[in-house]
Amino acid sequence: MRLLAPVLLLILALFAAIALDSPLPPAELVLIERSDCYTLDPQRMSYQHELRRARVIYETLVNLRASDCAIVPGVAERWELSDDRRTYAFHLRADAKWSNGDPVTSGDFIYAWRRAIVPDTAADYSALFFSIRGAKAFHDNRTKALAEFARNPRDARELWRETEADFARTVGIEAPDDRTLVVHLNTPVAYFLDLCAFPCFAPVHPATVQQDVSFDAASGRLIQRHEWTKPGRIVTNGAYMPTVWRYKRDMRLEANPFYWGRAHVIAKSVECRTIENPNTGVLSFQSGGADWLTDLGPEYKTEMLAERKAYLARFRADLDAGLARGALEDDVVGTLPVPGPGERRDVRGFDAFGTDFFSFNCRPELSGGKPNPFHDARVRRAFALAVNKQELVDRVTRLGERVASTLVPPGSLPGYPVVEGLGFDADRARAELKAAGFEDRDGDGVVENARGEKFPTVDILYSTASPRYQNLALAMRDMWKRELRVAAECRGKDSKLYKEDLKKGNFMIARGGWYGDYGDPTTWLDLQRRGNGNNDRGYESDEFERRIDDADAETDPAARLVKLAEVERWLFTEEVPLMPLCNYVTVYMYDPARLGGITEHPRLEQDISVLEPRDGVVPAAPAKESQR
Amino acid sequence: MSVAGLITRRLVQLPFIVLAVYTLTFILAWSVPGNPLENPEGRRPPAEIVEAMKKQYKLDDPVAFYFDYLGKASGVSWALGRHDRPFDLGPSLKQPDWSVNEILATGLPVSMTLGLSAMLIAVAIGITAGVIGGLRPGSALDALTQVLAIAGISLPSFVIGSALLMLFAVKLGLFPVGGWGGLQYVLLPAFTLSLPFAAYIARLIRFGMIEEMSADHIRTARAKGLPRWKVAFKHALKNAFLPVLSYLGPATAVALTGSFVVEKVFAVPGVGQNFVDGVLGKDITLVMGVVLVYSTMMVVFNLAVDVLYRFVDPRITA
Repeated sequence: MRLLAPVLLLILALFAAIALDSPLPPAELVLIERSDCYTLDPQRMSYQHELRRARVIYETLVNLRASDCAIVPGVAERWELSDDRRTYAFHLRADAKWSNGDPVTSGDFIYAWRRAIVPDTAADYSALFFSIRGAKAFHDNRTKALAEFARNPRDARELWRETEADFARTVGIEAPDDRTLVVHLNTPVAYFLDLCAFPCFAPVHPATVQQDVSFDAASGRLIQRHEWTKPGRIVTNGAYMPTVWRYKRDMRLEANPFYWGRAHVIAKSVECRTIENPNTGVLSFQSGGADWLTDLGPEYKTEMLAERKAYLARFRADLDAGLARGALEDDVVGTLPVPGPGERRDVRGFDAFGTDFFSFNCRPELSGGKPNPFHDARVRRAFALAVNKQELVDRVTRLGERVASTLVPPGSLPGYPVVEGLGFDADRARAELKAAGFEDRDGDGVVENARGEKFPTVDILYSTASPRYQNLALAMRDMWKRELRVAAECRGKDSKLYKEDLKKGNFMIARGGWYGDYGDPTTWLDLQRRGNGNNDRGYESDEFERRIDDADAETDPAARLVKLAEVERWLFTEEVPLMPLCNYVTVYMYDPARLGGITEHPRLEQDISVLEPRDGVVPAAPAKESQR
Repeated sequence: MSVAGLITRRLVQLPFIVLAVYTLTFILAWSVPGNPLENPEGRRPPAEIVEAMKKQYKLDDPVAFYFDYLGKASGVSWALGRHDRPFDLGPSLKQPDWSVNEILATGLPVSMTLGLSAMLIAVAIGITAGVIGGLRPGSALDALTQVLAIAGISLPSFVIGSALLMLFAVKLGLFPVGGWGGLQYVLLPAFTLSLPFAAYIARLIRFGMIEEMSADHIRTARAKGLPRWKVAFKHALKNAFLPVLSYLGPATAVALTGSFVVEKVFAVPGVGQNFVDGVLGKDITLVMGVVLVYSTMMVVFNLAVDVLYRFVDPRITA
């Protein structure tokens, strides 16, 4: 048949395509991630899985030790702080090298930090650099200069040369020599070293990055292409370097032969696989294809956690004895007998450095121009007091979350006291609402104000990205109806639309949440500051600004934390711009008998380079690979 | 009309068809609410930066974007010396490290492999089932293949896919779960994707076979003493296959472009899931780029089938 020829050709082509696309040799460590990295440019990152990868691809001046989040030397082998606590001098180690063998210099840091600060880069985290002297003014000047440029275009290169000169003259970062970096701060910043360990403060290899930089003639802005982040071109200074990156498929990390600490890098090759479908991720892990699933997604994770509970209950005595000896839970669990039917030990939930909350709209008016009852702190307190969070956690979210009444997760910051906000107290809730003028005057089961106007129907906004928020909103609606006798409506929206409503202030109560960026309470408390880009609540208070500025200005680090804790206590007992619900739980999938090195520290800064495949064999090799 | 004339005419039509698709998609994609430069979760860049970025990507002006993108994607800007590379589908707005060209270059071979494998499997299964049913209509075997065909058409691929994954990959451990590279990764998703096509082909073949087997020339062949299987495969199937051939063109295009559910279930790194993510995130350059490439492919496929059709059946001229 004449048809057979094209069919045969097609089959041949297919076989060729499949044969050419053969899998990589097994890596020593295999991770499954829910999404691929959006960028490998450390200055532009903002997602947790990206930052985690950046921590092992790039090395910052100092490192956070995963096990206890202590600051340990990184590219800087030592550093000095001036007596006025405003000037840091970092001394870079001689053997800090880029993956092409070039030395890491102080100039590389200045180059990277400058691109983080200029508005052209649109770095999500540029504000973290504003504690450096002159950085904010430099950023604002460049923004102004670009606006002026758009009105009167001239040579964009010339403008950039002026910007560079402005930076060198005004911003408090200097390099007396290649191995010294001096940073001047506006005020003493107690957590500056913690910031320096944040991946956005990592250096980049200027000669590599600069190749992709050009200028937009119309706006004068720097255009930074990102072709340099691809394997083959990317130059890194961390424990690993990416050697393969296939979009939304996988990334291969190989140990960087020029990394000064290479002796401490445990897995010499790491495969980071992207599996977006949460269910497939679990199946892939269970079929033995991976060591660590970094974000367990499916709704049935509650059942999986219950199976772990059942397993631990059987060995409670061994576990308690091990923990009493000071061993980590994983180290004990990994040596226990294998789980029986209906039991498992390959999932584990951790309290995250993040807090789930619902925001109150604090603006005087709603987006439609109507008066906003939640502008009154008494109403906000009433609504917060009327919610039984323990019941929500036990019956709605069911991940064993720790109930929260404040933002900063307890125990996550050494020296920061545990702060208590408002708990569940229905009687006080009704009293607060009454004090705000609302009570059931005509006995119809709905509260009214003195003029007889009903409390407006509460508009609860949530995103439909996960059923979690719908369930929470519905449960809280019922609680408010029951305890406060107000009518409420839940309004679920797609994440994009939800985000727009948040920005416009088109809600009364809305789903929110926050993960801390660095090891200081201000990463949480600054959310309430006037003009903060993430202050969705529109909360503005001179009193709060004064209190937090006062506390932040305290030079004694220990006393400063105590004062900040007092600000947080005041914020969440009096002002209540948002209602914290619980700390997020991050659920990992890994078998402690096969993977060691996962940190339990509340900030959950996992360090891929210390993860240790166990059992002496290469556990990452999937069973199928060996059958072939 | 000659084959050359057909090809010429279709190639002249091609830019107009693609332009129409481009315009329609652009209107739809532009009217999706949201801002691609904003992360659904996480930190927000300051407002003035977002404004400047919007300007840079021409997201503040639909007309400028429409023509600018069209010029760069079609290569016209390059031909006029206004742009440094031809067929530049732009940077992905959501994934700044990747250009749409790169995303297509990594995803398209995967989707093609998956889609074409699925079509091969569909043809193999469909013909076998169709011939079995068509030779003995009304028999138990025929009823069985019919039921299977109905099931193949009506069961959604995420159900079949998940079930196959559970059974063959997790329980039996015969296939790896999630990923790509090598035949063992292709078989399950390709089989899942092939089922509705296989079912449709089976029904086409069955119907054709029933009709053909009672045709005069078949009776003649049988009367000559040719064995039944030879008659069925050599004479009847050849004609019964013609409707399948005309179905294969659009079906292949659908298999290539419509595989995103299967890609999601099996974590296959193809274009389909990128496209869906692009639509959800309003990554307008990614959406436009994929649509441009796919619509071009669609036209070319249909043309290829028409040419093939004449090659197989010289009677067709129109």
